[in-house]
Amino acid sequence: MSMRRFLHRSRKDEDLAAEIESHLAHQQDANQAHGYDPEEARRQARVRFGNPRTTRERVWRYRSFPWIEDLRRDFVFALRALRKTPGVTFIAVLVIAVGIGVNTAVFTVIDAVLLKPLTYPNPQELVSLTNTGPRGSFSGASIPRFSLWRQQTSIFQKVAAIDFGGAGMNITGTDHPEQVQGIHVSADYFAMLGAPLVEGRTFTAEEDSPNGGHVTVLSYGLWKSRYGGSPNIVGSTIQLDGTPYLVIGVIGPGFVTETPADLWVPFQFDLNSKDNVFFFTAAARLKTGVTIPQANAQMRLVADEFRRLYGNDSLPPNGSFGVDSLQKEMIGDTGSRLFVLWGAVAFVLLIACANVANLLLARATARRREFATRAALGAGRMQIIRQLLVESLTMSLTGGALGLGLGFVGVRLLLRMNAGDIPRIGEDGARIALDPNILLFTLGVSLLTGIVFGLVPAISASRTNLATALNDNGSRSGMGIRSSKFRSVLVIVEMALTVVLVVGAALLIRTFMNLEAVDPGFALHNVLSMSMSVSGDRFQTTAPVAHVVQEGADRLHGVPGVVDAGVSNCLPMAGGFGMSFDVVGRPKGGADSSGGAGFCSISYGYFTTLKIPLLGGRAFTKGDNATAPNVVVINEAMAHHLWPGGDALRGRILIGAGAGPAFAEEPRQIIGIVGNTHDNGPNSDPSPMMYIPLAQMPDLETALNSKVAPLYWFVRSQGDPHTLTTSITTALREASGGLPVAHIRTMEEIEAVSIARQRLNMLLLSVFGFAGLLMAAIGVYGVMSYSVQQRTQELGVRMALGAQTSDLRNMVMRQGMVLTMIGVLIGAAGAFWLTHFLGSFLFGVKPLDPISFIATPLLLCIVALASVWAPAIRATRVDPMAALRVE
Amino acid sequence: MQGTLDMLVLRTLILGPAHGHTIAQMIEQTSENALEVEQGSLYPALHRLEDRGWLSSEWGVSDNNRKAKFYRLTAKGRKELNAATGRWRRMTRAIDLILGPSTE
Repeated sequence: MSMRRFLHRSRKDEDLAAEIESHLAHQQDANQAHGYDPEEARRQARVRFGNPRTTRERVWRYRSFPWIEDLRRDFVFALRALRKTPGVTFIAVLVIAVGIGVNTAVFTVIDAVLLKPLTYPNPQELVSLTNTGPRGSFSGASIPRFSLWRQQTSIFQKVAAIDFGGAGMNITGTDHPEQVQGIHVSADYFAMLGAPLVEGRTFTAEEDSPNGGHVTVLSYGLWKSRYGGSPNIVGSTIQLDGTPYLVIGVIGPGFVTETPADLWVPFQFDLNSKDNVFFFTAAARLKTGVTIPQANAQMRLVADEFRRLYGNDSLPPNGSFGVDSLQKEMIGDTGSRLFVLWGAVAFVLLIACANVANLLLARATARRREFATRAALGAGRMQIIRQLLVESLTMSLTGGALGLGLGFVGVRLLLRMNAGDIPRIGEDGARIALDPNILLFTLGVSLLTGIVFGLVPAISASRTNLATALNDNGSRSGMGIRSSKFRSVLVIVEMALTVVLVVGAALLIRTFMNLEAVDPGFALHNVLSMSMSVSGDRFQTTAPVAHVVQEGADRLHGVPGVVDAGVSNCLPMAGGFGMSFDVVGRPKGGADSSGGAGFCSISYGYFTTLKIPLLGGRAFTKGDNATAPNVVVINEAMAHHLWPGGDALRGRILIGAGAGPAFAEEPRQIIGIVGNTHDNGPNSDPSPMMYIPLAQMPDLETALNSKVAPLYWFVRSQGDPHTLTTSITTALREASGGLPVAHIRTMEEIEAVSIARQRLNMLLLSVFGFAGLLMAAIGVYGVMSYSVQQRTQELGVRMALGAQTSDLRNMVMRQGMVLTMIGVLIGAAGAFWLTHFLGSFLFGVKPLDPISFIATPLLLCIVALASVWAPAIRATRVDPMAALRVE
Repeated sequence: MQGTLDMLVLRTLILGPAHGHTIAQMIEQTSENALEVEQGSLYPALHRLEDRGWLSSEWGVSDNNRKAKFYRLTAKGRKELNAATGRWRRMTRAIDLILGPSTE
């Protein structure tokens, strides 16, 4: 088809008009030649030709895309129609904007966390290497494992080792020592992840072998912030924990790792080591074309070989190796959490749609004479539906544009509220940005919304019966019956959706209250915690570490305002280490003799600082040092499990048997039992715990510990501990010979982080529930007001016939409440089913919590009652005379 | 029948350029007034044929000394006329065969 016909339409139309004029003139000439007088000749010519305008229209239409033309006209008309009812338009657009806004906000987060691939090249090839067993897979690697894994060149391009979390390192040798996140990696790490270099180079294989020298690669952020982006940085030397390190490279700013890093140093493994201690994780890049199942199959064979090489003790009989998609592992259970959130948000949007549909139905009813007139003038049903759909789409797209803005503000607020632990969004959501995905999503939702809430009113309006509508004076029931049925259904739907939302919100509110009420097992108030990195050559044995701890504690006791101070290698409520144990004198391997438990090495002030209660025996003293007999304190959960008879204090346990030479030690006498702590967060049961004196750690274990985790200091103060920060950090720096501390937070702040996720869930669902409630209330109010207005005449007649005002009021209220009740019942049934999906988000409350299921319908009924009250009262104010005279 | 008017217009213009009124008159006269051109359809047809490149047009002065738009058959139009005539002949022959010899 030639496009020529669509060009220069106006000019061609003028041309055609001239042509027709010419034709008429020629015909007139011919007619005159037949003897007609000029005027009659002209008339005959016109009669013969017919209406020139029709001809021109035919050509015009032939030159147009008819539907675009119609759409443009419908759009202009829609704007005019919408401007005629500014109130309805404003409310509708606002409701849609809110509905789409929250959707955009939540989708933006989902997009960043779940849909966008990792920022590395070909991220689908990246896997983490895991140990598998009957209880699932867990990451963690030892040198022999790593050594064997990196030989699997048939499935892996590159295999790299990475620190778990990092012990932190201290940049020393300047006036301002600073604790930074220094991460140990193996040489292939950067190549595996495709890290961009801006200066220098990364580690060579020689530099990553024992005695490979001290070299480091800096992150872009550290290079800029601490070294001012100096161009001479490569080749210069910096002090890390008192040792000079040669800077050999700087990584580009685009390289964002999930574990944030300021600088990297090589692991320098001795690959011949037989030590099977887990102290790092391993990741790999699959060879192109190798699938995860293929890699898993190969890894199972590797496990068999591993067992052959290192003996059956090295790997449990049902244990094996495997790979996990790095991206999937990183997202964890955030996915299901975001999808629940999205479900809630979709409900908000549905309620918004129902509400707007309701408004539009009322508006369409008021306009039925207009539609009837247009139908009488020849508009087809499809044309009227199309017209109304264009109107609703105009509104929904406007709402969508506003919603996009709202969503963006919303997502910033959402993340400002402390999102807790959503991965992959960067600091304060800095990595969340507008992208085509989001625009497309919002556009799609807007179009869908416009069609969903526009279709029902449009179809209903197009059904108008011409005769009755035109004859109707506009204030009686008219087309009311069908449309009011629609509207009642919409109100019921709104109510039902709201019940589900509010029940969900109620469950999460109860969860949060329960979590806050959990006694963590230690004091939170007026306790400051901070980390001190003891990495470096100075802390390869226990004695210097114990010495720093002793000195620090002594000096802190001298700081005015400090009540107590203690040290641990684990941070409560942030997870910790686990270790195997065997009860001495019982057969190995039994349920009451062997197992795993949490493991912390602590200073003697730890229990009193955190007010962890002593339930039996004694706590550690200064005397429990390296030369004293080996002792251990266990918690109540462990004592109760292993010594149900209560004679735990007579027991002795052997810790870390079979875990490797680093952990080899003599059995320990249990000397005390302390209260349980909720170390894995308040929503999980307290797990068994073993505490040993920091001064009694085996040397090799201390060396390992210093490599993977910092020491945590806890200081209890009389008043607000924040006021003591400077004197505390100064005291510790002096006591430790210049070690800085970092991550200074009160325990209350740490607790807030541990329940931040539940707090966010609760806040969001409450906001959504409230929004739903508000919209449902508006819906009921709208329907009942409209119904009263429609029935003015009927009410007048009833009144004239002697009905009491209370009868009329009750009648209206009954109608409104019947709708509400039906909606609430349906909603409760829906919630009954849907809240099962919330199960894993709840704590201390069942998905079918009776309080939530009773309180919510009650709340909704009260709100509905308030909403129908005004229309009901209005019904009683009907003046019978006026109502009857309306006719 | 769809396309018939197009074919007639093309056939008329083989005699030389003409304007709309002449074309209509020529069709009517040549068909001994059996065919009456609906004038409201003639101009849309002319514009359609021009858009397809079968006709070209220019304004000129008619025999009556009036301004008129003259249509001229293009080479492409001539080809189309041959094709359309062939189609038409084949169809009328087919229809004739079915109707059989005249029984009157």
